[in-house]
Amino acid sequence: MSPTGSVPLIQVKNLKKYFRTPKGALHAVDDVSFLIKQGRTLGVVGESGCGKSTLGRTILRLTEATSGEVIYGGEDLLKFNKHQMKEMRKRMQIIFQDPYASLNPRMTVSEIIAEPIKVCRTLTDKNEINNKVNELMKTVGLAERFVNTYPHELDGGRRQRIGVARALATDPEFIVCDEPVSALDVSIQAQILNLMMDLQEERKLTYMFITHDLSVVKHISDDIAVMYLGQCVEKATSKELFRNPKHPYTQALLDAIPLPSLKEEDKLKKVIKGEVSSPINPKPGCRFSVRCPHAKKECRERNVPLVDQGDGHCVACVLYQ
Amino acid sequence: MSEKLLEIEDLHVRYRTDEAEVYAVNGLSLSMNKGETLGLVGETGAGKTTTALSILKLLPSKVGEITKGSIKLDGKELTKASEPEMRRIRGADISMIFQDPMTSLNPVIRIGDQIAEVLELHSKDTNRAHIDKRVDEILKLVGISKDRKSDFPHQFSGGMKQRVVIAIGLACEPRLLLADEPTTALDVTIQAQVLEMMKELKEKLNTAMILITHDLGVVAQTCDRVAIMYAGRIIEIGAIKDIFEGENHHPYTVGLFGSIPDLTKETNRLSPIPGMMPDPTKKIPGCAFADRCKYCMDRCREEEPEEYVVGTHMIRCNRFGAGKEAEA
Repeated sequence: MSPTGSVPLIQVKNLKKYFRTPKGALHAVDDVSFLIKQGRTLGVVGESGCGKSTLGRTILRLTEATSGEVIYGGEDLLKFNKHQMKEMRKRMQIIFQDPYASLNPRMTVSEIIAEPIKVCRTLTDKNEINNKVNELMKTVGLAERFVNTYPHELDGGRRQRIGVARALATDPEFIVCDEPVSALDVSIQAQILNLMMDLQEERKLTYMFITHDLSVVKHISDDIAVMYLGQCVEKATSKELFRNPKHPYTQALLDAIPLPSLKEEDKLKKVIKGEVSSPINPKPGCRFSVRCPHAKKECRERNVPLVDQGDGHCVACVLYQ
Repeated sequence: MSEKLLEIEDLHVRYRTDEAEVYAVNGLSLSMNKGETLGLVGETGAGKTTTALSILKLLPSKVGEITKGSIKLDGKELTKASEPEMRRIRGADISMIFQDPMTSLNPVIRIGDQIAEVLELHSKDTNRAHIDKRVDEILKLVGISKDRKSDFPHQFSGGMKQRVVIAIGLACEPRLLLADEPTTALDVTIQAQVLEMMKELKEKLNTAMILITHDLGVVAQTCDRVAIMYAGRIIEIGAIKDIFEGENHHPYTVGLFGSIPDLTKETNRLSPIPGMMPDPTKKIPGCAFADRCKYCMDRCREEEPEEYVVGTHMIRCNRFGAGKEAEA
């Protein structure tokens, strides 16, 4: 389906983001590394609080990383100064989760879509900007009559289309999609997912797709990274991960999805107990070990690195080392 | 088991706002047996929550009103019940679990006291020690240690809070539980825990449940029967087998299933339903789905389609039954 480029567009190395809290350091993103090839989609899945949104924001420098590298086009983004970063932002954009909160209620649809163009000065002529806005609205399937409406007049699906159009305004190469469909109804969700996949094909976009919905991530991603408490616990191609999930957390996550089917083999399987522990000053060792049915003494004693099991299927679990 | 617990006939609900009148529920009929779980499925604005609120008579006063129809619980007409009567029914015979566990608990009352409140209001036994004992039992039922009953809601995680809400809902062993998207705000692994627990409790207490959700996966795993709602009407209803494995479906149901990415199959494109829900401020004479339907015929726009019933399965669409013959 997607064009399988072989050039890495973005490479993240040992990225860490700790937040300071009164109780200690909150390890939101803890030593995450991956690379995304041009024209492909990396899905990042995990439950709330696992650091997936922080990861996306840190890569775009919407929050500053604690340490690590983000290599984009051969250079480390995290070392860029303000001016270089502004240039860079044209090439990388973000679509936010909540189409209600991420649009300025005092701006019309056309103003919202034109704003990145004006900020980045990719176009300066008024007519050109207008043409570009009209073209973008057409691309994302917004009727021309909405040009002068305000976001509150539109429903969630249309608002998210504005979010997509705004992200495309500067013709970026890379878009971080932070749960772009989770606030939408299923039938609208499917429309937006189809739109995003069409755009990827047309414009050779590279996506980092953050979501908690495994069926969505399977549908849209080429590669998937599973996160748990700030760490990446498993990484593989989408097909491989769903066919052969290795990490006990990934297995538990897949087993927990209620399938819309009555077949016996699709019944809800064993449910894992317990809840996500605190990300503040986590103990060394595997962070999933408290809930893990296979946990051994070893798991709690040392940090478990991601190890390649062949064909790029990486797992951070003592069972596979 | 086969006795009728709840019967709703031709329910119409309207919200009156400053700008317009909103027709939220338009002629909904539904009946439920004792101990049964019914899934009420539909998208935002389909009228699912409004239906549940109408049963409890909790529609916002002055704005929402039942304009027509009857709701009977065990033969007793609820639409005509007085407020004091309703207050005795709420929590005791019918209780409701709301979607968001973060906002449905009182943040300044210890959770043990919040559970005790329901018991104090509804049980005849007002002995404090007995109520305390019952609170401990209920907490155990939902898997919370009784040591935590003097904790406040903010000390619990989302999944645990929802357990508390469920505990409150089930405290008086109601005959009917209305669960409005009880797991939508939860993570998948926690959702699985809560669903499993609700299923066990329902069997233990023989409570009937209306599970409102938009997640067809949740429905398949928990319900006996399913009703699909669209624009304030039930457009298809049947036993779970009819909906998930039956041959004939309402075009909207087909669209709903086509919109979910399937985990078990490889699909390149989803097949969503084009367009959007009709404007609820307008009365629609015919089938509400007509504008988005690829099978739409002239008569669909003129009059509401007849019910097409085969066994336990009802579809309200002109493509089947009498409508089909008339077209041919």
